[in-house]
Amino acid sequence: MTLQAEFQAVVLAAGKGSRMPEITSGKPKCLLPVGTKPLVWYPLYKLQQSGFTDVILVVLEQQKSEIQSVLDKTELEIKIEYFPISGKEDLGTADSLRMLHDRLKSDVLVVSCDLVSDVSLKGVLDVFRMHDASVASLFFHSQGGDGLVVPGPKSKHKPERDLVGIDVQTNRLVFLASASDFESELSLPRALLKKHTHIKMYSNLVDSHIYVLKNWVVKYLNSQQSFSTIKGELLPHIVKKQLSKPPKVTEGKSVLSNFDSEDIFNFAKEDEFSIAIRETSSFNDHSGDFRGTYHGDSIRCYAVVAPKDCYGVRVNTLPSYWTVNNKVNEKWDKITNGLSLALKHPKIENKSSQVDDKCVIWEGAKLNEKTSFKNSVIGSNTEVHSFSRVFNSIVMNNVTIKEKVALENCIVSDGATIESGCQIKGCLIGSNHTVPEQSEHSQEVLTDTDRLMEF
Amino acid sequence: MSVKTKEVLKDDIVQAVVVADTFGDEFLPISSDIPLALFPLINKPLIDYTLEFLSFGGIEETFLFCCSHTEAIKSHINQGIKDGAEWSLTMKVNVIVSESCHSFGDCLRDLDRKGILRGSFVLLEPGTLSNIKLLPIIRKHNEIANKDKGAAMTLIFQESGIGQMGRDPNEEAVVAVNSSNRILFHRKMGQSRERKIEFPLEIFLDNSSVSLHHNLKDTHIAICSPSVLPLFSDNFDFQTKDDFVKGLLMNEEILGSTVYCHITKGNNYGGAVTDWRMYQAVSRELQNKWIYPLQPSVLRNNIQKNGVIVGKGVHIKDNKKIINSVIGDNVHIGENVQIRDSFIFSNTKINDGVIVTHSVIGPNCEIKSKTKITVGSIIGKGVTLEKEHLIEDTLVQATEPENCDPKDKLDKKAFRLKVTGTEDDLGKILSKKLSRLHIEDNRPEESDDDAFSDSEDEELSYTQSPVPDDTKLFFTEVIDSLTRGFEDELRCEHLILEINSSRYAYNVTVREVNFNVIKAILHMSLRLSTGPQYFSQFVRLLSYFAPVLKNYIRNDDAMLDTLQAVEDVAISNENVNEKWVMFVLKWFYDKDYISEDVILEWSKTLDAKSRFYAQVKPFTDWLEEAEEASSSDED
Repeated sequence: MTLQAEFQAVVLAAGKGSRMPEITSGKPKCLLPVGTKPLVWYPLYKLQQSGFTDVILVVLEQQKSEIQSVLDKTELEIKIEYFPISGKEDLGTADSLRMLHDRLKSDVLVVSCDLVSDVSLKGVLDVFRMHDASVASLFFHSQGGDGLVVPGPKSKHKPERDLVGIDVQTNRLVFLASASDFESELSLPRALLKKHTHIKMYSNLVDSHIYVLKNWVVKYLNSQQSFSTIKGELLPHIVKKQLSKPPKVTEGKSVLSNFDSEDIFNFAKEDEFSIAIRETSSFNDHSGDFRGTYHGDSIRCYAVVAPKDCYGVRVNTLPSYWTVNNKVNEKWDKITNGLSLALKHPKIENKSSQVDDKCVIWEGAKLNEKTSFKNSVIGSNTEVHSFSRVFNSIVMNNVTIKEKVALENCIVSDGATIESGCQIKGCLIGSNHTVPEQSEHSQEVLTDTDRLMEF
Repeated sequence: MSVKTKEVLKDDIVQAVVVADTFGDEFLPISSDIPLALFPLINKPLIDYTLEFLSFGGIEETFLFCCSHTEAIKSHINQGIKDGAEWSLTMKVNVIVSESCHSFGDCLRDLDRKGILRGSFVLLEPGTLSNIKLLPIIRKHNEIANKDKGAAMTLIFQESGIGQMGRDPNEEAVVAVNSSNRILFHRKMGQSRERKIEFPLEIFLDNSSVSLHHNLKDTHIAICSPSVLPLFSDNFDFQTKDDFVKGLLMNEEILGSTVYCHITKGNNYGGAVTDWRMYQAVSRELQNKWIYPLQPSVLRNNIQKNGVIVGKGVHIKDNKKIINSVIGDNVHIGENVQIRDSFIFSNTKINDGVIVTHSVIGPNCEIKSKTKITVGSIIGKGVTLEKEHLIEDTLVQATEPENCDPKDKLDKKAFRLKVTGTEDDLGKILSKKLSRLHIEDNRPEESDDDAFSDSEDEELSYTQSPVPDDTKLFFTEVIDSLTRGFEDELRCEHLILEINSSRYAYNVTVREVNFNVIKAILHMSLRLSTGPQYFSQFVRLLSYFAPVLKNYIRNDDAMLDTLQAVEDVAISNENVNEKWVMFVLKWFYDKDYISEDVILEWSKTLDAKSRFYAQVKPFTDWLEEAEEASSSDED
């Protein structure tokens, strides 16, 4: 018999990458190459480093085998249990978690597959433990664009902004909403300000999508069919419920007959001993009023804001994908805590003499004579013919680049073919797309249109 | 001190402005004889504390602005200088008299005309006491003003928890501040019962982080740039400092001015006597040395048991029943007198058996025989109460007010004073109530909290998430639309459009829409006049809405929703016509809105014992028979 783990880790990798359909149409989002590894490797490695031995990886049914075969090659020690879900319906993060609910016996650490960061999980887990919290989540300071020119048509990238309210004294997460939910005014209940008299409202934080959830939250989620995402619905709901009081049980009425057996407070019950211990202790989490510890709340959400120098990116948009690829090797040491970085896979066929030391070459890539590479990622089994050059680009797997091709600032998806003599600058090339001979393109999306229509 | 000063303002000296008048009626009737500045606070005039604070704080020149009782204040200041009061040693005090000013704003406009202030200065509202070190804050203000040319004012707040006595319930405020301490939003809540506070969204989007403070009390001290006075002159609607702050924040772009704040913590105390409640709170705090080094001039033998402080030459026959009170100089108190949580000013005589609780008795009064004064009553200067009275929550003055009701004459030298102005609105009554002395600690706070827990959910929906009631609202809206449509014979397409827009407004799911629309139409049928014509009218109604029905009943799920709506209406309206269910089902079936399979499937889920099932059964039986017949036909 094994001991029940304190936390069960879940990595959500069933997202379709709908914010960057140009490059995810033919490939699971979690397998996008980021430096030397596929995207999902980063959160998995982070968990492994933090001491997790098991992880549940939620994937789409049709992508499972592909993901599994890629991950098997990455030499991760953490035991991955795949949990395939059907991709027919458009399932949100909360839906995925709900399907998992009977596998989750402990408190849950939910991580998204698109997180690349050097932050330690210890901080958020410790806050969760310290306050016996219902939810603890981790936020980053926004990294800000570096002025890099993102491939594809020029568009003004407007990041989605969240409003995150944190009680300054206690680090309680007291408000969470998307800024786009409001028109010109943000109205807060006065009771909130009376309870948390000093709230710091951030608008530049990035939600890391690292959530530590108490087990009852999953059970509650299971009873609430309407929530489809964790970030958009479940979390704001629970954060809001902190301000409510449990329904008063009128005397003479049995609790069973209580209409709201689905009431959140029936899930959030604390055991008597914890309450008794807290009441006899002189500890109080706040000062300034005469309320008891935690204001007597059984629902408690906490926020941990990573220090400003922490690196953290959610790879869910094209600009973030582009910047992370430019940064990842530089931050590698901090992200992996000293894992050696092998930029060039040993099993490559490299006849080129001009590959600079910023290039990443994946397994089985074939670089012919008289080719030139600068600051690029070349995916596995990709072949580049002679007299071609690839600068500042990401070339994914099984791509064929013919002779005399000049690629600059491009992202080339799986299986694309670029015929000889092409001059391409700042373009996104969709999967299995063939760029005809001698074409010239700049700042465009080159893809078979019908593929994009899937979304 | 002077070395420090020179760092702050090169050659200029540090100046302060104190406005001595409140311009309000908070302290009537006592303030009609004594200016607030000379109110005794633990037997020492209030202005002495203020001046002491300024001189401790490093101020070298103070302008004391008086508009009424000017002679009394002037002579008090001159006396102080003559006696070598502590403040007079390091600070020059100039009394400015201007009886034509009627508000705080007028005073500042007058100062602007006089042009006697140079550089930044400290501005104090009436009745301020503090022990805050001002020089570092002035220095900081100047630094900010160097960076931000528009910086007009730095307000000083003190951190103070909710429910603290020194936090004036009339001055509850919410302040939003950015990371460089610039005030972005300042809202004085006062006694308003509003449950929501609306912040402009852009303050959050324009700043990476904003601190929302509800843990502050106003110290009524502000550091002002020279631009403050012209701003007051240019905007003659600014009557108070609050108007100023509000006006500046509202018209930030136009006026090009900004307001900053400084938050003090711990033993830095600041507060002002703005009403009787604050008078009581500040007295308590002073008594308990919160404002150290400001101290009342009390000798050891002035302090008695039970939190009582007495002045010089006080005669008390027995003090067993005197608790938590301040007794002024030369007061005579007779036997068996009860005084509790009250303030007795000097030269007053209280005879045997009088009871005084939570009240203030002005100077030179005489209270005779067994009168009871209670619930925040204020007795003005020189009142004589001859007979036995019960004075409860009343203001009493010695002279006859204009248009005095004979009923309000209590004695030869005692008249009930009615404060003019309507008291009928709730806010005013409340603020009146809370400006009295504390009756009992914490009571108003608690009742406040109860008000919050009442209708929580409504209260909590601060984001636009669907609340359960939305569906209900949607339903009533649909009924309204349809009824109006039917009466005015509007086109059904328009009705559909209307319904769909309400659907988005209330965020209702498709299935709920189906259910509610059908339910609404069926509900309308119940309003038709009963009688032989009933069913023909009903058919007319249903046919009229045929396009609507066709629009919403599109698939099997919608059919099921329709049937559920039928069930819902039939069950919730007991007196519905016996044949109603049968008729409705048949009509929907005949017109092909609902398929046979769905009806049969649905009928199986019904409770076989219910009355409703009994109404449905004949129809399903008929359907089954018909089916058998048709299938046998095929054979």
